[in-house]
Amino acid sequence: MSSSIYVNSKNVFLDTVNSKDYVQLDRVSTIYQALKDSIKKPLKMILLYGKPGTGKSMFLSKLYNDLSSSQEVHIYKTPILDESEFYKTLAQDIFTTKYNGELNFTQFMKIVDSVSLDSIPVVLLDEAQLYSDVLMEKIRLLSDTRTIKFVITLHKTEEEDLIAKEHFQTRIWESIELENASTTELKIYIQKKLMKANCFDTANMFTNKSVHKIFKLTNGNYRDTNKLLYTLFDIYTAYDENHQLSSIGTTHVPDKLIEMSAIHTGLINA
Amino acid sequence: MLNTRDLEKRWLRYKIKFYIPHFTIFISVIVISVVILTFFNSDKKETKELPQKVNKIPIETQTDKEVTIKTPKVALIKESIEVKTIDYKETPVASPKIQEKEPSNTEDNSLKLAPSLDFMKSMQHSTLPYYNEEPAIAHEKVSVIVEEVQELEPVEVIQAEVFKDEIKQISIKRRDSSNDIRDIIKRFKKNNNPALSLFVAKKYYELGEYHKAYNYALITNQIDRDIDASWIIFAKSLVKLNQKTMAIETLKQHIDNSHSSSAKILLDEIVSGKFK
Repeated sequence: MSSSIYVNSKNVFLDTVNSKDYVQLDRVSTIYQALKDSIKKPLKMILLYGKPGTGKSMFLSKLYNDLSSSQEVHIYKTPILDESEFYKTLAQDIFTTKYNGELNFTQFMKIVDSVSLDSIPVVLLDEAQLYSDVLMEKIRLLSDTRTIKFVITLHKTEEEDLIAKEHFQTRIWESIELENASTTELKIYIQKKLMKANCFDTANMFTNKSVHKIFKLTNGNYRDTNKLLYTLFDIYTAYDENHQLSSIGTTHVPDKLIEMSAIHTGLINA
Repeated sequence: MLNTRDLEKRWLRYKIKFYIPHFTIFISVIVISVVILTFFNSDKKETKELPQKVNKIPIETQTDKEVTIKTPKVALIKESIEVKTIDYKETPVASPKIQEKEPSNTEDNSLKLAPSLDFMKSMQHSTLPYYNEEPAIAHEKVSVIVEEVQELEPVEVIQAEVFKDEIKQISIKRRDSSNDIRDIIKRFKKNNNPALSLFVAKKYYELGEYHKAYNYALITNQIDRDIDASWIIFAKSLVKLNQKTMAIETLKQHIDNSHSSSAKILLDEIVSGKFK
């Protein structure tokens, strides 16, 4: 195998949110379909939550790509923390109203009332846990008017269960949880990702044993898996360039290399 | 590009760190199991040793008993061997020195078969400082005892005198046996143990020296009148010495006193003529 294969394989696992890199897994597909169905319903707000690295951003990106052709969808991957800036951005994107100076909630609601839209626009807000409580309360009030539909993603952490907060509990009509992959799902995820990039040889290197080892280290977290496999193929590239591939073998991924990758990425505290 | 050498070193350190607790647990488990095993084994040994120690006491006492009880048996076995071997016709009194030498030859020939009577010799050695007399003197002392018996029961003494010539003619087939008897006689003189005199009586009876057997049985009876075996030897010796009526009377008297079944059987046999 030439080094280009390892380089290509490495690039497959670059930690980027690209809807084209979305990997279709059975469970994820079911969840995705449920999300799409929820958007069609007259719901005020949809919550997508899960631990970091479970693919929430990818989900939102995929949803944006799929819906943008059929209806008005706006995605905000990075939170707009300033309240005035948030209203101004929405006024410009949804209602094509450019507003100079400060824009408060009352002024924004006047714009909403003045403009009549054919369909209800969908606003996708990623990393919504970063918004302030006051702004989240305003978003709730805005969704109550049924002029804008919000799909928000949240981190579900052990310390702070944001879903428990009042404004999410009472106003959300649909909530979908994303979880880490199982061992089988992880193997499919890795191999599908590699095969998408035509890296069939490297895809075949992942046996059940090696995937199990990866699962033990990453706990099925997609982000950690991507980081680990990126480093793994980086190591392979280095060995290949040093002509030391024979010492590690190319038929399967040895535990040693997986552990070395985990040490490098910090998954193992050596 | 990644520094794979550095990464390999870090990985090696990690593996060593990773296996250290496993290794220590493994070693400690082995050590603990070895300690436990040795502990339990030592416990078992102690428990095993205890009953052995307890058993040792009865064994020792048994051996003591065997010394006294088995001696006649040993003598019997020896006698049976003796019959098969050389048939000497010498009196033990006449050539005591030869008696000491020749048995050794016969012992060599029948070393594998004959049980040892060394314990007798060891006992003899212990008594030697007290009895330095020659066998001849010992024999004289036997006759003294006989004389004493004669004083007590004149009838019997007469009978003993009647067979005096016959005593001289009776020969011991094995000199080692006569030696043993002499040793036992010495011991008997020292402690007057009726068991020893009874043994001598039995031994003489088995050797066919019925007169001596009669005398020693009589001595035994005088020491202890309740020894059934002694009375039986006494009666048998009388029969062998052609004193059948006296034997019957003696046995009857003994049966009246002791109600001995073996004495009754012997009496019946004598009366019916089965025992001659």
